[in-house]
Amino acid sequence: MSKSPYRPARIVAVALAQLLLTAPFAAHAVPSFARQTGMACEACHTVFPELTPFGRRFKMNAYTIDNLPQVSGVTTDKEQTLLLNQLPPLSFMFQGSVTNTRKAVPDSAVPGANAQNGQAQFPQQASLFYAGRIAPNLGAFVQMTYDGTEGAFGWDNTEIRYARMASTKFLWGLSFNNNPTVQDVWNSTTAWQVPFDQRSATAPTPGATTMVDGGLADAGVAGLSVYGYWNDSIYAELGVYRSAPAAAQIDSTSENVVKGVAPYWRIAYERQWGRKSWMFGAYGLTAKLYPGGDAALTGLTNKFSDWALDTQYQFIGDNHLYSIMATYIDEKQNWDAGGAVNPSDTLKTTRIGGNYFYQRKYGAALGYFSTTGSADAELYQQVDPVTGFANNKPDSRGAVAELDWVPYQNTKIALQYTLYDKFNGGSKNYDGLNRGASDNNTLYLLGWLNF
Amino acid sequence: MNTIIVFAAGILLAAGPGAAMTQNDVAAPALATGVCAACHGPQGRSVSPVFPHLAGQQSAYITLQLDAFRGHLRGDPLAQAYMWGMASQLSDDAIKSLSDYYASQKPLPGEPGDSALIAEGQKIYAQGIPAKAVQACVTCHGPKAEGAAAFPRLAGQHVEYLIAQLEGFRSGTRTNAPIMQAVVHDMTPAELKAAATYAASR
Repeated sequence: MSKSPYRPARIVAVALAQLLLTAPFAAHAVPSFARQTGMACEACHTVFPELTPFGRRFKMNAYTIDNLPQVSGVTTDKEQTLLLNQLPPLSFMFQGSVTNTRKAVPDSAVPGANAQNGQAQFPQQASLFYAGRIAPNLGAFVQMTYDGTEGAFGWDNTEIRYARMASTKFLWGLSFNNNPTVQDVWNSTTAWQVPFDQRSATAPTPGATTMVDGGLADAGVAGLSVYGYWNDSIYAELGVYRSAPAAAQIDSTSENVVKGVAPYWRIAYERQWGRKSWMFGAYGLTAKLYPGGDAALTGLTNKFSDWALDTQYQFIGDNHLYSIMATYIDEKQNWDAGGAVNPSDTLKTTRIGGNYFYQRKYGAALGYFSTTGSADAELYQQVDPVTGFANNKPDSRGAVAELDWVPYQNTKIALQYTLYDKFNGGSKNYDGLNRGASDNNTLYLLGWLNF
Repeated sequence: MNTIIVFAAGILLAAGPGAAMTQNDVAAPALATGVCAACHGPQGRSVSPVFPHLAGQQSAYITLQLDAFRGHLRGDPLAQAYMWGMASQLSDDAIKSLSDYYASQKPLPGEPGDSALIAEGQKIYAQGIPAKAVQACVTCHGPKAEGAAAFPRLAGQHVEYLIAQLEGFRSGTRTNAPIMQAVVHDMTPAELKAAATYAASR
């Protein structure tokens, strides 16, 4: 973590985002789903983690489609009271990586020296999943992750789902989860946006991020949402999130604690025709946060209002597959509890990405990302090298290019280059210590196994 | 937190006991709606040409195919990827009731296609290709391409799906229909396409 002086509200937009520097980025592809359904990965994924229409349906159905021998129990009324796979749906994921930034980052202890560039991580991330049906209409996607930068096991993306068909055309369900949008089935929302879902765990990443784009999840939340999907086309979801960080009790020692609950909403329209599908949707959340951090959880809060638009187009051919995903997020921040110079600020993020795969084996992806927002001298400060904001602006902008080789359906090798045109508010000398945005350009080689 | 708990409890209580998505002991319509429909669509009308329409398909044909998936006798790539797993735990009774369920659904109208292609296909469908000793499709699949028992309905099917099957017979990836393997052996891709387009248009 950074050594920035303590400023409660600043943590929201900046320090939380800095957590992203080390936060693990989760994977969605889970072989235990394949074992449970008896279906190949390609049924649910174009190339993991991107979902096909069937994969979206499988997820909305609470991961319950099952084709394994069962241990079952029924009452005399023939009500199913137990339905367990004879073998638990466990999977393992292993990621190894090498990261090289254009210019090495400064040494964390010796002034003037640099850290070693070309950092290898083995593992970058290793996860154990329980993913599959746990009862007739109940399923789980639970991920425990060993994070190579932290050197420790931690709780990662987790979702427990209940779903049922109300009629031939209407499916509804509940999702309990720990990250707004982790429950979403399209790859254009923040948690699973392709091709931005995988990036280096050690390279610098931009500091400012919105609440729905990981900010709230990093503060530690638990949420419940109810959703409905009609006629394979109209999706609506409403949920609430409440603070649930790893702590014995949530009090003044906690930071960024949600007052009451933070509502989350999602609507989407999808049209499928032939091998194509197109989705257009919107989502958002509103969170009132107590700054905490030695201040009692009472009085004024800072309010974050996010709304976002997203769209996804997919074509899934036998040989050629391509997808385009985009999202635009608009956040308004009201700093009633202090922590910023301005009474209110804005932060907007745009991400557009697309990918192409040939026979699900060889692929390429391109992405553009941009974050802009109001300048704020307290929120965005020149404090540390690399992570500082010398211009007091949150703006970052750049592009991602990726080549993929998927020799087996559960194995991916990715070579990714991330290019920064702007980083933490500037292009040249953005941190006030002579680091330029392009110095953070990152070459990243990732090996990703799921078994 | 109370809000969440009350919210959750309310919805769960409203939901009542769970109906299982097991494949046996469940009425065919429920299984079809809850599982099969994810690919084959509501009432067996699929959206993607990767997955065949099942509405109005011959019951005996569906039974033969499910049995072949279960026994790994039909091994074309998509059958392996999707249906080997899906059919693996089906009992004979479940297969029978699913087959009857889909056979009783209203079939789709014919898919319109290129008129020249349809005319060429009609010739092959009705007369075969005598020069290559290719039998006429009508012999088994019927005058309206409606099929009969083990011979599938082709009318209203996705053209792309029919072509993929014919190519599967020819390349040997789909081997559970020796008659069809013999029929398509000497046919050109253009002839396959014409025949499929005509049959689907009925």
